[in-house]
Amino acid sequence: MTSLLDIQNLKLNFKTVQGQVEVLHGIDININAGEKVALVGESGSGKSVTARIILGLLQELRQARISGEVYFDGRDINTMKPKDCAKLRGTAMSMIFQDPTSSLNPVITIGQQFTEVLRRRNNKLAQAICDEQATRMLNDVAIPDAQRVLNAYPFQLSGGMNQRVMIAMALANRPKLLLADEPGTALDVSVQAQTLTLMRELVNDYQTAVLLISHNLGVVREFADRVYVIYQGRIVEDGPTSALFANPKHAYTQALMNAVPRIVGTGLAKVPEVSDAFLAPRITHSDVT
Amino acid sequence: MIRAMRILASNPLSLVGLLLVLLITFAAIFAPWLAPFPTHNGAVIDFAFANKGPSARNWMGTDLVGRDIFSRILYAYQISLMLGIVVLAIATPVGTAIGLIAGYVGGWTGSILMRIVDVFLSIPPLVLAIAMMGVLEPTLTNAMLAVTVMWWPWYARLVYSIARSEREEGYVLAAEVIGAGTMHIAFREILPNCLPAIITKMTLDMGFVIIIASSLSFLGLGVQPPTADLGSMVAEGARYLPDSWWLTVFPGLAILVAVFGFNLLGDGLRDILGVDE
Repeated sequence: MTSLLDIQNLKLNFKTVQGQVEVLHGIDININAGEKVALVGESGSGKSVTARIILGLLQELRQARISGEVYFDGRDINTMKPKDCAKLRGTAMSMIFQDPTSSLNPVITIGQQFTEVLRRRNNKLAQAICDEQATRMLNDVAIPDAQRVLNAYPFQLSGGMNQRVMIAMALANRPKLLLADEPGTALDVSVQAQTLTLMRELVNDYQTAVLLISHNLGVVREFADRVYVIYQGRIVEDGPTSALFANPKHAYTQALMNAVPRIVGTGLAKVPEVSDAFLAPRITHSDVT
Repeated sequence: MIRAMRILASNPLSLVGLLLVLLITFAAIFAPWLAPFPTHNGAVIDFAFANKGPSARNWMGTDLVGRDIFSRILYAYQISLMLGIVVLAIATPVGTAIGLIAGYVGGWTGSILMRIVDVFLSIPPLVLAIAMMGVLEPTLTNAMLAVTVMWWPWYARLVYSIARSEREEGYVLAAEVIGAGTMHIAFREILPNCLPAIITKMTLDMGFVIIIASSLSFLGLGVQPPTADLGSMVAEGARYLPDSWWLTVFPGLAILVAVFGFNLLGDGLRDILGVDE
């Protein structure tokens, strides 16, 4: 199986006033079609710039020096003309961001924004067909009253709704690769979990490959087939999720895992509503040392 | 819309502004029917009634050749409003387009565009207009041209500053990520976010354009006699102050009412559209 995305020895330098700063020191990542891969690392480890390079956005920045190969579908994005690269974005690959509400234009209705996304692939698409497809996509992300949402502005919807709208838009053109940059970090945990479950089901249905960028190990463990651990611009460890979580080899990976707070204990006992115990404290604190 | 009406209604001053603007617009459109002496807009001489104070026949008196000042003010509003609309209709799109591109694209393109804008802004507007009118013939068209040339840079700068801050918003990045082109992002994504500020500024500017246009014709550089214009009416009468006060006071008040109305309305719109300057 040839891989959909194949990054080889990718290096990134930023030219600053003080001189060159190397941000990525030669990383290799590959993702097969339909595979869900996570890129885990702390802030500043180079996760987000990697995503921007894959999208071909960083290449346009003059201060950035990029070397190495980024093959997407057999074509090297690093040597591609910016125009050809722009054609890929929104059709063959798309992206979901941290904060869904700010990623949607506040003064344009969801419906119009959806139409724009759909017309990226076929710009003569009739409004009625766009609406119909948008409705279907919104139903897919568990938004039942699609018509109301299409006529709404982003600020009229909740963060969770916007996140689902973002997922629907990102997948509307059936991209081959979806980049998810810490999706829903701006949302509360339960909503985030819901949308991730939804996203996983959808990408399975659509056979879309996902590169999930995250620092949340819980999310990664739930979502990804394979994990890359990135640390200070280097891939320090990679492997199938279960293996990596069961037996982290690199010291950084181990530290990362140990940093996750663990819920211990069995949770709270259920108390019958009409009983003397109802008003009693649920947890009795004792000296556990 | 309902919310807008409520805010407008809760702010009596902006309601006054709206009424004044509507009144002036109405007066200008229906001048030929409202004016007691419609022909007095042009070259009419009636020495029997020359230079008379306000009376039942001529509410605001008559000018030096006997023309009804009230009628002439109604006609003068036509010219003032048309001038304001034409100037803003040209200056706003030009300035907005340049500001948007400079603000969103940035880099060299942005710097060059904004330096050109700065050059225009560094010349005192009225001086530039006077210089232009000195070179060109003093006609209404050239007056519009002169005012337009000095007006667009303000829009360029306003939109530039908004576009600069909007560029950092998440939706712009999201649009870039789906592969939207530069022009699409500038005009379809960022422009709608600039509109409230632009509309507010346009309303406020109507008043200023009327003042500038009146100033030009006060100096004899704008609309030429015998066509009625508020500025030239004030200029003609100024020599006969304070005896024939009605020659200057009523056209002057007419300017005041127009500018006041647009300014109040502009302030009200700013509250409704939530623009902060």
